[in-house]
Amino acid sequence: MGILELFQRKKTPRGPAKRVELFDDEFQRKLEMLALVSRRVFAGRLRAERRSKKKGSGVEFADHRDYAPGDDFRSIDWNVYRRFGRLLVRLYEEEEDLSIYFLVDCSASMGFGDGKKFDQARRLAAALAYVGLANLDRVTIVGVNDAVPERLPTTRGKGRIFKVFRFLEGLEPGGPTDLGEALRKFAAQHKRRGLAVLISDFYDPAGFEHGINVLRFEGFEPYVIHLVDKGEAAPALDGDLLLVDCETGDEREVTVTPGLLGRLRTAFSEYQTRIEHFCTSKRVPYLAADVSTPFDETVLSALRRGGFLK
Amino acid sequence: MMLTGLPLGTLLGLFGGAAALTLLFYVLRLRRRPVAVPFSPLWHSVLGDRDASRLFSRLRRWLSLLLQLVLLALLAVALGDPRATGSLGSGRNVVLLVDASASMQATDEKPTRLEAAKAKAREVVQGLGGSDRALVVQMGDVPVPLSTLSDAQSELVAAIARVKASDTRANLGRALDLAADALRGAPHGEIVILSDGALPEPSPAPELKGVAVRFVPVGKSGKNLAITAFSVRRYPLDKSRLEVLAELANLGSERAEVELSLWGDGSIIDSERLQVDPGARLSRFFSDVGGTRRGLEARLRYADGTNDALPADDRAYALVPERRRARVLVVTPGNTYLEAALLLDEYLDVTEVKPSAYPPPGRFDATIFDGVAPPPATDSGGLIYLNPPVSGSPVKVAKAISGFGFDTWDKKSRVLRFAALGDVQIASGHALEPLGGDKILGASDEGPILVAGTRMSRPFIVFGFDPRQSDLVLRPAWPLLVLNAVDSFSDTDASYLSAYRTGEVWRVPVAEGARDAELTLPDGTRRAVPVQDGRAVTFGERAGVYRLTTGVEETRVVTEFAANLADLDESRILPQKTLKVAGQLAPLPEPGKGGARRDIWALLVAVALTLSIVEWFTYHRRITV
Repeated sequence: MGILELFQRKKTPRGPAKRVELFDDEFQRKLEMLALVSRRVFAGRLRAERRSKKKGSGVEFADHRDYAPGDDFRSIDWNVYRRFGRLLVRLYEEEEDLSIYFLVDCSASMGFGDGKKFDQARRLAAALAYVGLANLDRVTIVGVNDAVPERLPTTRGKGRIFKVFRFLEGLEPGGPTDLGEALRKFAAQHKRRGLAVLISDFYDPAGFEHGINVLRFEGFEPYVIHLVDKGEAAPALDGDLLLVDCETGDEREVTVTPGLLGRLRTAFSEYQTRIEHFCTSKRVPYLAADVSTPFDETVLSALRRGGFLK
Repeated sequence: MMLTGLPLGTLLGLFGGAAALTLLFYVLRLRRRPVAVPFSPLWHSVLGDRDASRLFSRLRRWLSLLLQLVLLALLAVALGDPRATGSLGSGRNVVLLVDASASMQATDEKPTRLEAAKAKAREVVQGLGGSDRALVVQMGDVPVPLSTLSDAQSELVAAIARVKASDTRANLGRALDLAADALRGAPHGEIVILSDGALPEPSPAPELKGVAVRFVPVGKSGKNLAITAFSVRRYPLDKSRLEVLAELANLGSERAEVELSLWGDGSIIDSERLQVDPGARLSRFFSDVGGTRRGLEARLRYADGTNDALPADDRAYALVPERRRARVLVVTPGNTYLEAALLLDEYLDVTEVKPSAYPPPGRFDATIFDGVAPPPATDSGGLIYLNPPVSGSPVKVAKAISGFGFDTWDKKSRVLRFAALGDVQIASGHALEPLGGDKILGASDEGPILVAGTRMSRPFIVFGFDPRQSDLVLRPAWPLLVLNAVDSFSDTDASYLSAYRTGEVWRVPVAEGARDAELTLPDGTRRAVPVQDGRAVTFGERAGVYRLTTGVEETRVVTEFAANLADLDESRILPQKTLKVAGQLAPLPEPGKGGARRDIWALLVAVALTLSIVEWFTYHRRITV
């Protein structure tokens, strides 16, 4: 051993990077279990029974409107004409299958550190998508950061789950977060409204509210899954440091002290509470998903809490 | 307050430089380690509070700088060794004279008197006042200062530890002179003598005006036996036999039965038990000692096997010089009396030649010219002239005289030792006219008739008469005189071979031409000694056997000699409780005044260290960051 080697930091030998199997056999077995559980939760309901807000050609009366030339004569309510002398057309609630959009945050902050957040987001998206597909819903998966970089076209049926897997495996975290802008683009691209499951850490410099509000105002039914990595609230840092934001590159000199770390934990907790309060006040279902919690427990929590499947 | 260390200008320079460097480090931006975070606005929200107290943060940073500057200032002032102005010059100036004479080796105080004196000296040093200064002096035959006049206790204590006893007497007069010189001009001078009191009163009395003399006695018992003399000689006419003289003294207060033993070359030769009255001295001869080649040693102890308080004077050493066959050349037409005298010493190699055959080949220790005085050859050694002619004699041969004898002669001369010359009758001869450096060994009322001297580095002896013209040749004095003369040239001596005495300057003869000599002490240490006029000069401090080496390899000559304490005054070890100096009793020393010694610099360094620890703690606890 040379004398210089004494001063060299010992390097841990590393083998070839092991590819993480996001959706292995174990994962798929859990998906089957979740599908069964979801059937028990929604027992007695028929497939495609969900009433949409769209008025159309269903069987359940919803309203009248004035007759316009070209309307089907069979839909004219002759009883009303006989009593009031007006031509009114009967409107029914249109019964159609539900569209579920999984909006997966693909910003750089999701892949921060060892990428546990992003992996958890993809597993959750895959699991919930499987439940949706198993219920014959129309499932669309979209990756978002400050735009819409990736999109899985609408699909339905359990057999398409592997397509979902491949899509999710192909997603890469990167870019800054701007959920407001990204979801505006998403809304513009998807005219068919439905359930929008937003899976994100909500590290949005512009404010987490914008993205949720866009979904609300564009007629989607938002469902918020907030990915929380508690390790980010208590980083193992000490001393004089230069903090660099992994998305924006913003730098800040700081001397980390135990007191400062304590305040950081408090701020982190308050940020999570603000998101939850915001969602609650807007009647948006909210679920905090700890990355250290197994994904199947999180999915069950989502199913039990309701709002995901009607 | 005054600075006694580095001058103020130097201190300011040092402080300025260090402060500038510190400022530079503070001005330079800290190179921070970059760390990625997932969402910096969270940190901003936390640090926003700190931004509100940025002023305080900056203040804390400046406080840290201020603390560093204070540290530097404290260290700079400490380097200046500040002292209270009042403490300078107003304290005592003390000279500690620690007796290191032979008597201080006495073991009546455990472990020795010297160690007891050193312990008391340390007590004196520790009792010095804050502004007192002291000088430690080892008081032997020659006083040796072992420290500077210092107020640093550590230096003084270290100097006391270096005091070593010697086998010499202490010279109080010289030590007081040195102390008086050291204290000249210094205020509140004080001399503290730590001794057993066996000190001869200095004469003349030293001038100690304005200097207080104090005395710290050591020692408990005066019980001691001593060998006060020890010498050996060869019998003049049988140099293979030795006669040994030992003189011992009982310096205790009781009659003692002692055992005196004689050792030769490490083996016991003789032993004898003697009764010695208190205060008595007893001489003992060991006659007809044979078989010893080199070293003799006398040992003295009580008959019951116990030793006295002072071991240093219980042993004495003597060395018998090696016998060597002297080569003698006799240049004579024929002289029966001379030949007969030379035949008496079997260790002489005598070569006889006619005057016409001079010089014969060979090297000689002595050459006897009988009635002739040819130019001496280089290898002729010492020259003995019997009735030399006018020309060629190293001493001018003056008027002829007749019917004379030795009216005066040098009885201490080695050449005339044992020779009775009082009634020698000489029929005729010549008076001699010696030069200034010559020595008249014998003279009649008409002038010198036996002269010794040196010409051109060659010693000579001139008889102003022909011994055959006198009755000297019929007397025992004749062969003694001839053999003494030859022995004086061949460096062999049949006299008592007294060893050197410690506490004196020794002048040891060395081989001819030697310029440097190396002396090996009894304890094995070696040191170079100078050679002057053919003798190695050194001051003897230790009793024992010495080796003196001159030359290298083929020319190496090793001379051994012995040295003994042999000092009755030093053997009188009865401790004195009082000491008179300049006619006045010296009192015990007083403790120092002016409070404890204060080293302000140490206090400053301690404060700086404390501040440094506080700064380190607060920095790492992120209090002053």
